[in-house]
Amino acid sequence: MYRYDEFDAAFVRERTAQFSDQVNRRLTGELNEDQFRPLRLMNGLYLQLHAYMLRVAVPYGTLSGRQMRKLAHIARTYDRGYGHFTTRQNIQFNWPRLKDVPEILAELASVEMHAIQTSGNCIRNVTTDQFAGAAADEIIDPRPVAEIIRQWSSLHPEFSYLPRKFKIAITGAPADRAAIRFHDIGLQAATNAAGDVGWEVWVGGGLGRTPMIGKMINGFVPNEHLLAYLESILRVYNRYGRRDNKYKARIKILVHEEGLETIKAQVEAEFSEVRGGVLTLPQEELDRIGSYFAPPSFEDLPATPIDIARETILDPAYGRWLDNNIFSHYRPGYASVTISLKPIGGAPGDATDAQMEAVADLAERYSFDELRVSHEQNLVLPHVRVADLRAVYDGLVEAGLAEGNAGLITDMIACPGLDFCALANARSIPIAQAISHKFAAPERQAEIGDLKIKISGCINACGHHHVGHIGILGVEKKGTELYQITLGGDGTEHASVGKILGPGFVADAVPDAIERLVDVYLGRRETPDEPFIATVRRLGDAPFKEALYGTT
Amino acid sequence: MEILTGNELLSGAAVYLDADGNWVAEIDRARLFAKDEAEARDAAIAASKATGRIVGVEIETVKMVDGRVVADRIRERIRAEGPTAPAFPRQELGEDGHVSI
Ligand code: SF4
Repeated sequence: MYRYDEFDAAFVRERTAQFSDQVNRRLTGELNEDQFRPLRLMNGLYLQLHAYMLRVAVPYGTLSGRQMRKLAHIARTYDRGYGHFTTRQNIQFNWPRLKDVPEILAELASVEMHAIQTSGNCIRNVTTDQFAGAAADEIIDPRPVAEIIRQWSSLHPEFSYLPRKFKIAITGAPADRAAIRFHDIGLQAATNAAGDVGWEVWVGGGLGRTPMIGKMINGFVPNEHLLAYLESILRVYNRYGRRDNKYKARIKILVHEEGLETIKAQVEAEFSEVRGGVLTLPQEELDRIGSYFAPPSFEDLPATPIDIARETILDPAYGRWLDNNIFSHYRPGYASVTISLKPIGGAPGDATDAQMEAVADLAERYSFDELRVSHEQNLVLPHVRVADLRAVYDGLVEAGLAEGNAGLITDMIACPGLDFCALANARSIPIAQAISHKFAAPERQAEIGDLKIKISGCINACGHHHVGHIGILGVEKKGTELYQITLGGDGTEHASVGKILGPGFVADAVPDAIERLVDVYLGRRETPDEPFIATVRRLGDAPFKEALYGTT
Repeated sequence: MEILTGNELLSGAAVYLDADGNWVAEIDRARLFAKDEAEARDAAIAASKATGRIVGVEIETVKMVDGRVVADRIRERIRAEGPTAPAFPRQELGEDGHVSI
């Protein structure tokens, strides 16, 4: 894992001291709220419905056991014994008190973490594939580049007041598990004719009020020029992005309104100026940072097949977990494990302090001290020996984290919604809980197979509803929470935005509505192997609409 | 009818202005402003802002239902009751969290 250099350590320390002073001045009344608000937001401190909320960055979703223990300690000492992992691969604490926040930031700094740039119109935490550095299908580990982008974008003076926030996602694999086409910039590893690895650059994707699929602005940017290219895009955006209208200020609108070709020409013009300049990455620097992400000392193991059928007979719950929560590793004899934060009826993404400690233990013992947070609000042990899977599973059972539902219908994304969020129109978590209960039976989940339900409590779409195979969007109408259902979204390389099927449903009616959609799929799929999203694409909306609203 | 609400600075807790000019945790104790009390209401807003201790003072409309104050908006009902899922008790005001105008 990356270790802070002097510069990183100094800026985090300085910022913590600065914020501590700002909090004191707020408490004594020297600063009023109008003055203080932007300062606290720059340090990830929001005011929500019931309390403050501190959003802590988990750089590209990577954590060590020690860092996870610190998060557990913060949850226990300053909060209510739990944290909420988000679709931005971050963690949020829902109940900190203002005077404790400087201390929390100092605790975070002691494990090389912070809450800087988790709010505001700047470049936010870079997100990536939760299996980065482990996945069998990966061309290159994207984390060294993610780290370089983190360093470049941290406190970047030119990009501290962009027209709007800016999110970059990166993946080193052809299968897109990081939803890169729905970010302001998406980067996907690519190889050129000479066999060099570089980056496909996608621009102008996003969710929210105006969902858009990113467009490829460059099919191959060499690794050493990537920062110069990113800087060129940011400059064009910073100059021309619409500061006049908050709803039109994201780069997706600029790209949409001006057209990809116009933006591309501007970016290329800028790139020709800066290319080869100070942002060119020297090989030593690439090597230095790359060395922090060197593969751990894997043993040479033979490929170890897992006999899921046999294990299922012996222990069905373990069999299910093996079937769903194990992901192929590039090293024979190893696997990546998804730790589901979606127990039946739970709040998606929540973990208690004890669970965080348990996960840290497992990471230290069985996964070379590495952990990941996924954008689907789960945790990952990236490098587990197949021979240790049972021991890991047993540890997870003890911690209440052994739900074998990764990728299934109960593995939903849900944003905090109106239970916590000041911007929400409707609740998300109780909807997720009700659907989870409805489909709790493991046999039923297995029969349905891969199905992604994503729920947002308002049009900001933190719950990624637009890219849910089934998306649920909470709205408010005449004092009642209503839920619009969308169908056919996909956040992967087969990117698509879901379509609204019709008028919204009241909360109590949502689980039945989802069941009707699932029943259409089960009745109409060509084979049991045809996944939900494929059936939707083959049949179109009509039969699903009919199931919800009758013949029109 | 209207009430005044905001969040107390130190704890971030949702609070309401009561009839004695104290900012309290319970919506049932909130001072009810009738339509023709706009002047008193606005004076209370100004005085509350002047304390620097109540963040985001807002006017909310409410009804009396069975002797209880019930906010018209769901958002405000959830603020008054605490998160519903998972159900958590509301943030408590600390000892230093009492603000009066
Ligand atoms: S989608 Fe809306 S309700 Fe949900 S967390 Fe984001 S802003 Fe809040």
